[in-house]
Amino acid sequence: MTIDELLVSLLLALPLAGFGLTALVGRRLGRRAWLIAVPAIVLAWAIGMFIVYQSVFAHAYGEEGLRFTLYEWIPAGDFVVSANFLVDSLTAVLLIVVTTVGMLVHVYSIGYMAHDPGRWRFFAYLNLFMFSMLLLVLAANFVLLFAAWELVGLSSYLLIGFWYNRRSAALAAKKAFLVNRVGDFGFALGVAAIWTTVGTLNFFTTEAGPGVFELLPEALHAGAIEPWMMTGIALLLFAGAVGKSAQFPLHVWLPDAMEGPTPVSALIHAATMVNAGVYFVARANPIFAEAPQAMVLVAAVGIFTAILAASIAFSQRDIKRVLAYSTLSQLGYMFAGLGVGAFTAAIFHLMTHGFFKGLLFLGSGSVIHAVHDEQDMNRMGGLWRRIPITHWTMLIGSIAIAGIPPLAGFFSKDEILGSSFKNGFVWVWAIGVVVAVMTGLYMFRLMGKTFYGDSHVDKEVEPKIHESPPSMTLPLIVLAIASAVLGLLVGFPPESGLIHSWLEPTFHHATETLGIHHEAFQLFGIDGYLLVIGAAAGAVGVALGMWYFGLFGARERRPAVERWTQRLHPLYVASLNKWWFDDLNDLIFVRFGGWVARAMWWFDVNVVDGTVNGIAALTQSTGRGIRQIQTGRVQNYALGIAAGLLVMAVAYLFVVGR
Amino acid sequence: MSQSLEAYLVLSALLFAIGTFGFLARRNAIAMLMSIELMLNAVNLAAIAFGAFTPQLQTHAALIALLVMAVAAAEATVGLAIVIAIYRNRRTPLVDEYASMRE
Amino acid sequence: MALPPTIPFLNWPWDDLLFLILAGLMLAAAVFVVIGRDIVRSGISMMFAFAALAGIYVLAGAVIVAAAQVLIYIGAISVLILFAIMLTQTKSGPAQLVFHRQAWAGALAAVGLGLLLIVSFINTQWPLRVEQRLWSATDEVALLLFNDSLYVFALQVVAVLLTAAVIGAVFLAKREEAPDPGEPAPVTLQRLRRPADASAAD
Repeated sequence: MTIDELLVSLLLALPLAGFGLTALVGRRLGRRAWLIAVPAIVLAWAIGMFIVYQSVFAHAYGEEGLRFTLYEWIPAGDFVVSANFLVDSLTAVLLIVVTTVGMLVHVYSIGYMAHDPGRWRFFAYLNLFMFSMLLLVLAANFVLLFAAWELVGLSSYLLIGFWYNRRSAALAAKKAFLVNRVGDFGFALGVAAIWTTVGTLNFFTTEAGPGVFELLPEALHAGAIEPWMMTGIALLLFAGAVGKSAQFPLHVWLPDAMEGPTPVSALIHAATMVNAGVYFVARANPIFAEAPQAMVLVAAVGIFTAILAASIAFSQRDIKRVLAYSTLSQLGYMFAGLGVGAFTAAIFHLMTHGFFKGLLFLGSGSVIHAVHDEQDMNRMGGLWRRIPITHWTMLIGSIAIAGIPPLAGFFSKDEILGSSFKNGFVWVWAIGVVVAVMTGLYMFRLMGKTFYGDSHVDKEVEPKIHESPPSMTLPLIVLAIASAVLGLLVGFPPESGLIHSWLEPTFHHATETLGIHHEAFQLFGIDGYLLVIGAAAGAVGVALGMWYFGLFGARERRPAVERWTQRLHPLYVASLNKWWFDDLNDLIFVRFGGWVARAMWWFDVNVVDGTVNGIAALTQSTGRGIRQIQTGRVQNYALGIAAGLLVMAVAYLFVVGR
Repeated sequence: MSQSLEAYLVLSALLFAIGTFGFLARRNAIAMLMSIELMLNAVNLAAIAFGAFTPQLQTHAALIALLVMAVAAAEATVGLAIVIAIYRNRRTPLVDEYASMRE
Repeated sequence: MALPPTIPFLNWPWDDLLFLILAGLMLAAAVFVVIGRDIVRSGISMMFAFAALAGIYVLAGAVIVAAAQVLIYIGAISVLILFAIMLTQTKSGPAQLVFHRQAWAGALAAVGLGLLLIVSFINTQWPLRVEQRLWSATDEVALLLFNDSLYVFALQVVAVLLTAAVIGAVFLAKREEAPDPGEPAPVTLQRLRRPADASAAD
């Protein structure tokens, strides 16, 4: 095994060992429960960064990336599944996000969970999650990926329901898992379809033969597979992504997942797990590129989710819920990017979003910590003087997400919008611009209500507001720096930045198949216009947000806000009720499903059991009836004999006489 | 009529039927035994009738009738002894009281 | 005065009249046996039936059988039955119900059986039959009895049977003796049947 293979294996082994050890001895460590988990992840981060360096800077792995097999996992005759791993530039980008944000969240959790008695469980689960996520991005075959997929879901369940005493948390965890399951069902069907079609489940070529991503397109072109089968496979796999990344209609679990502690929301539901779907679609781009109709659906689902979530974010009072809907919206952007063929742009946005959404969530956690676990924004306000570090970092994050240059969000978001326009998906572009406006607006509504204006904080809590400890603010600062400069670092110049050079080989084939040809970036041509429009949209949103909610005299404009709310009352109600999707699900699955289940139960008790019991009862009553013949009196028996004799004789006479 | 075989046979059948009815219908055990004797006699009559109208069977019929009589006597003896023994236990000669072997 | 050869006005042979009278007597007596309420009267009526039957045997030419009928049935069996009736009297004698509830079904079965027999008898062509009845000779009967191995054997078996019957009847019907003081009570049928009742009855 080479050094690189060893390092990759170590990268996986460290969080796993951290999980095991913390689970075993963590409770006894008390306040220092993080001592096993956090260093493991810091070490993992270091290894991860080294691998990234090797992959995209030193080009040590070649065009195809590092591929190796650790051991044969399932040898079952013809069906052999190995634990094989792949590290190419796409993996490297994901590794950057996962390990960095993961490490920062672990450090942040030292301070955030300092008073929680269950902190040893928390760190154990966090490490388990890191292991699962790393396994997911490193996996090189569908079975391993699916196993990691499920493990990530499990970790999410454990962490959302971390405060298991709270009924709402337990329910939210259950909801997350169940909704994920729906997607996973489609995913499993897709994997099965792939297996029956091409007979292998490895992504790329191994000693066992060619991989899925080579065989499937070949089969399609050779005519062995119909186009609709390809589209079907793509859609089934996409179903899994829809569940995991909380797109419509499986988006209902993500807002409820905010019941978990804030570091969990930051890590899992902003930066890593929900990106698994995006990563997967990008990884499976050879399949999707061959199924253009599926791509259109991906784009449609994505952009629809984006605007749906943005509309709901307007009416939410809980700071974390706003951020959750914001995540949904940004994920929608990523899928829209994937759907229109802008794979690189989508991954770029994944990267930047991981950083600034992680920052926003951790910042909100800091705010919540400061106001002593108050999450309702209407009871905050005027905090910018009291918790400056949190305020400034969150401000940077908000500007980044709104897409204002030169911060990170601008580059990635604009590239998605630009590509949609240029690839012919004008409707995606138009809706995307609207969503950009909305993003700026609701983010600065959040900022305004939380940090600016008059303080509506509870009078008793007011004096106790304090900045968070360094273990919490340090990650905030690091992430803020990243949000500010990352775009420039890897995405500039537009379409020719570092990240494009990294990811181009991965997506090259797909881009060609889809027939996407771009001329070079023209700052003073079409691209310039699109840039300006994108930035302007974000700026308009920010300005409106600040005007109505924010910095300068928001008090006077409160009646205007009220009037707008009245004018748009139906929309407001719809937004407040999350467009009634939860109620719809409740109606269909809980009520109607419950009715069906009760009917089945009635059937089982009365018909099935009734039949069985009825047969027994019939036997018993027959027996009881026939028993009456045994009178014990000889004459009754003699009468029976005489009658029998008579019958037999008469019958005989009839038969013979005929 | 005394020269027709059928007359004797019909008579025998009637006597047998009467005996059967008595056996099935009477409550007293001794009356049942008397009905059995009637049935046996009917059989004897049938045998004699056949013997009277069939030269080869004549002596045989007579002997059969004698043997049947002997057996009937033995059977009546034992049957009555049993009835007396049961009577000592149950104090009644009525057979519908002897019903302990019921379901 | 000599009897006319046939009955005047009817032109029947005298045998036929005799047959009818005897047959009617026998059937009437038999019917009274099975219907009679008082069992002693039933017993007496049975004797009459046997007597009539003996007459019919004579008419059929089987004289020795007629004699045996009178001796055995009237002389022994009927007496035995009358003794048994005497020994099993109950106080509430004639007041009891004579028939079961199943008497109707029994009547039906009996009638059916009788009809069946009659129909079969009449419709069968009995082979080897002759038109005139025959008289039997006693010495031929005796010769057959003691010469034909079948009947010799049958005779011996019947003898054993009668002996066994007598012994069995004596054992079954004997009254229990009072035990000697100090000796355990002997095992009898009564004790086997219901020990508690037996001791109470004694």
